[in-house]
Amino acid sequence: MSIKKTGIIIGCLLMMAMILTPAWAQDVTKLSYPQLNKLEIPKVEKITLKNGIRLYILEDGSLPILEASVRVNCGSYLEPADKVGLAEICGEVMRTGGTSKWSGDKIDEMLEGVGASVETSIGMSSGNASVNALSEHTDLVLEILSEILRRPAFNEDKIELAKVGRRSDISRRNDDPSDIGSREFRKIIYGPESVFARHTEYATINTITRDDLVDFHKKYYHPENVQIALWGDFKRKDIVDKIKNYFGDWQRGDMKVPPPPKVDYKFESKVHYIFKGDVNQSNIYLGHIGGLIADDDYADRIVMNNVLGGGFGSRLFNTVRSKEGLAYTAIGFYTSNFNYPGVFYNYAATKSKSTCKAIIEIIKQIKGIQTDPPTVDEMHFGKDGYLNSFVFNFDTKAKVVNRMMNYDFYGMPEDFLQKEKEKVEGVTPEAVVKAAQRNLHPENLHVLVVGRQEDFDMPLSELGLGPVETIDITIPAEK
Amino acid sequence: MRKLSAKLLLILTGILFLIPQATFGFDFSKLENSVSEYTLSNGLKVLIMERHDAPVASFVTWANVGSVDDPKGYTGLAHMFEHIAFKGTTTLGTKDIRRELELIAIEDSIFMELRAERNKGRLADSLRIKQLTEAYEKSREASYELVIPNEFGNTIRREGGVNLNAFTSEDQTVYFFSLPSNKVELWMALESERFLNPVFREMYKERDVVAEERRMRTDSSPVGRLIEEFFAMAFKAHPYGVPGIGNMSDIQYYSRQEAKAFFEKYYGPSNLTIAIVGDVNKDEVLKLAKQYWERIPYRPAPERIATIEPDQLGERRMELEDPSQPFYIVGWHTPENTHPDAPIINVLSDYLVSGRTSLLYESLVKEKKIAVQVGSFSNSFGGKYPTLFTIYAVPAAGHTNYECEKEIFSALEKLQNDPILLEEIEKVKARAKSEFINNLKRNLGLAMQLCGYQQYYGDWRELFHELDRINAVTPDDVQRVAKKYLNKNNRTVAMMNTIGAN
Repeated sequence: MSIKKTGIIIGCLLMMAMILTPAWAQDVTKLSYPQLNKLEIPKVEKITLKNGIRLYILEDGSLPILEASVRVNCGSYLEPADKVGLAEICGEVMRTGGTSKWSGDKIDEMLEGVGASVETSIGMSSGNASVNALSEHTDLVLEILSEILRRPAFNEDKIELAKVGRRSDISRRNDDPSDIGSREFRKIIYGPESVFARHTEYATINTITRDDLVDFHKKYYHPENVQIALWGDFKRKDIVDKIKNYFGDWQRGDMKVPPPPKVDYKFESKVHYIFKGDVNQSNIYLGHIGGLIADDDYADRIVMNNVLGGGFGSRLFNTVRSKEGLAYTAIGFYTSNFNYPGVFYNYAATKSKSTCKAIIEIIKQIKGIQTDPPTVDEMHFGKDGYLNSFVFNFDTKAKVVNRMMNYDFYGMPEDFLQKEKEKVEGVTPEAVVKAAQRNLHPENLHVLVVGRQEDFDMPLSELGLGPVETIDITIPAEK
Repeated sequence: MRKLSAKLLLILTGILFLIPQATFGFDFSKLENSVSEYTLSNGLKVLIMERHDAPVASFVTWANVGSVDDPKGYTGLAHMFEHIAFKGTTTLGTKDIRRELELIAIEDSIFMELRAERNKGRLADSLRIKQLTEAYEKSREASYELVIPNEFGNTIRREGGVNLNAFTSEDQTVYFFSLPSNKVELWMALESERFLNPVFREMYKERDVVAEERRMRTDSSPVGRLIEEFFAMAFKAHPYGVPGIGNMSDIQYYSRQEAKAFFEKYYGPSNLTIAIVGDVNKDEVLKLAKQYWERIPYRPAPERIATIEPDQLGERRMELEDPSQPFYIVGWHTPENTHPDAPIINVLSDYLVSGRTSLLYESLVKEKKIAVQVGSFSNSFGGKYPTLFTIYAVPAAGHTNYECEKEIFSALEKLQNDPILLEEIEKVKARAKSEFINNLKRNLGLAMQLCGYQQYYGDWRELFHELDRINAVTPDDVQRVAKKYLNKNNRTVAMMNTIGAN
């Protein structure tokens, strides 16, 4: 008890001290900093093997670890519409289903016995593999990687295991409100049938056969479609020799991989509603189609994003979160991809009773960035912050070498990032407003609300944002 | 089980053949020796680790205070203060500090009147509440006029800070970000200032933000709801059973004074550790640490919580009926992190649920296909005080919590009857080594680990002895611990059963 009292007394003294002695206070804007130690951007070595595999190599002896990542030119956009999930299952079973040399269970034992991992997956627009091992196990993991990528066995039991997993995902997909929202918002933007938004159903999973997986792998997994980035504790000559040893006799294929399809988007204003009975908070999504990284005003949009909805101090954070206390998360980004348009999305989760209030506030901020140029302070964190944190693009070898691999895949110049930085240096408040006017369409937004309309502050139809369409998310039953 | 082990033995022989046992010589002492430790005159612990790979540095302030320290009736207060710590200081975030503090005082006095009236419950005067609410809103808006919103965070972002964030867990509150390494002084100035001269501005709106955080993480999240029930059931005396985010009514109750008192009690320099890891010079860092952090006067460190969770007398169990899909959790009371049995429990946990060759993954997921996922919370929950070892299972579509439970219990029973194979322990140790080395990659992760070991063991060096503790574990240890703790009377079960599916 006495301790508690002392604590409070000291507390009062401190409070007084704090008000009475401003001399303690620091003006951090007046600090001056020493020169930053020179950033040595590590040089990635690029090698193309005779069979077309492209290697990206970076030595790093600081810890006794070998890491690798693989990118294969394929993706779920290539699977037929009645077999959605094929690519994902193919990517999983390639690893779990074993190879002609070892069963999947045996590979599990071999890797976990030495604390190593080799994992594979196929996403929307690339096949991937990742490797992590203590460098003493380099040969083991490279041989397993080679076996998995080249000679997967697609064991039936592991295909069934993967299907059990996918069916469970389907059965659980309406449990969490943010899962529902992000899935359905993509469908609203790209279209429900679009390869960029479609998703599995029991019916699509059940039609997938082992032959489908074998065919998909056979079609796309050829050395000329494969890039491998390696970094860690090795000598470059040794690692290249090892890769040649395990991958050198892989024969080229002749498949020309088609690019992802074009997106056909029509701007319109519409409100979408999904009923979720067991929540006391609405998940709100607003936006429309986004852009490409190669767009001329990409640099302006970097600053625009930081000012509008990119974290601490952004307009959405300051208003929706700090000033109004409406949400814990309030973000907005105009996203851009390399080979298909991104999404302009704004998100907040707010108590049911303030649903419409939050929507109105977010739209106000989107309109605001088209008319009110960023202030001096906003340019500080939106632009200077980007430039001052630039060094963090190079603080790990993994970032450097993986970026190089990705740029190469998309045919971007090696110094793309440095060029972008120079462009950001030239961004003005006016350029941000222009980019907002050009790219944002606050009069043509799709609004999606996941929640309980009976608890909202007003009916969604009274927002004046167009007709309200209720989306039925009932999961089609398994036949 | 026996059949499975024979199979594993065969495969392990295969591995030994594949890899000639390399003598593994990574010298941890070199890393250990690159850490410097100082205690400032006010009791603040400073840990510095030089790493010159890239011109960046990560900074952590680790406060030995967590949600277990929330006062009764004020659950979530530790987490609330974490939010307030981003609201700025007497010099950052304000247009006029003297005027602002006056207006804040007015806001407080109206809020306290409003709160007192509300607290009368049924006897409260609704008209008075309405008037006071209006007056309070006005006073809040008046003080907000003088706020420069989020100036603290903006200053860090402007100077190139990244990963700016903080978290509050049961045992600690941790603040962190990274900067280009020439800006050490900025961190020193800002970070020391926020624990020297914090201003609890926008307190009441920030409570609303925290309320939304609770709605997001707990109320509107099926697994969030289940976990809160589970821990409340498992601990009847110790505050590990109380939700760290706070009960909704408490979140909406606390005042600025209570948050301040909490800060005064728990944020004295002797209760803090700071860690700086990156491209820095330790002498310069120490000089700046003294210059900035020694401005905070010494305060005695608060006492530990004395409450000990009493022995459990029988199984505790609850079934939550929910529109969501099934989810199963079971936990057993186990000792604190520094207890000699703790590393054995970690080995046991790894053996049971880590990776595709773990006992429960093999049986529930791979073979029987009744679950799609199994896992444990052995290390992520508390540990300063006696805690829980927890296993969860996510049943596969068409399968039930009961099927998973039956399988888990029968696996554990076998584990209690037959010691596990030496090869299995060796595998766990190999994984621990690999994981340990991988965890050394990032400056921020290292800074946090140093602080964590400093808090739990009173000595950051214990980080580098973690593998020794794991390597000392024998099959007999695992069997003994399984028998000692994984008993029916000592367990708590919570499950979510689907009623009226989504």
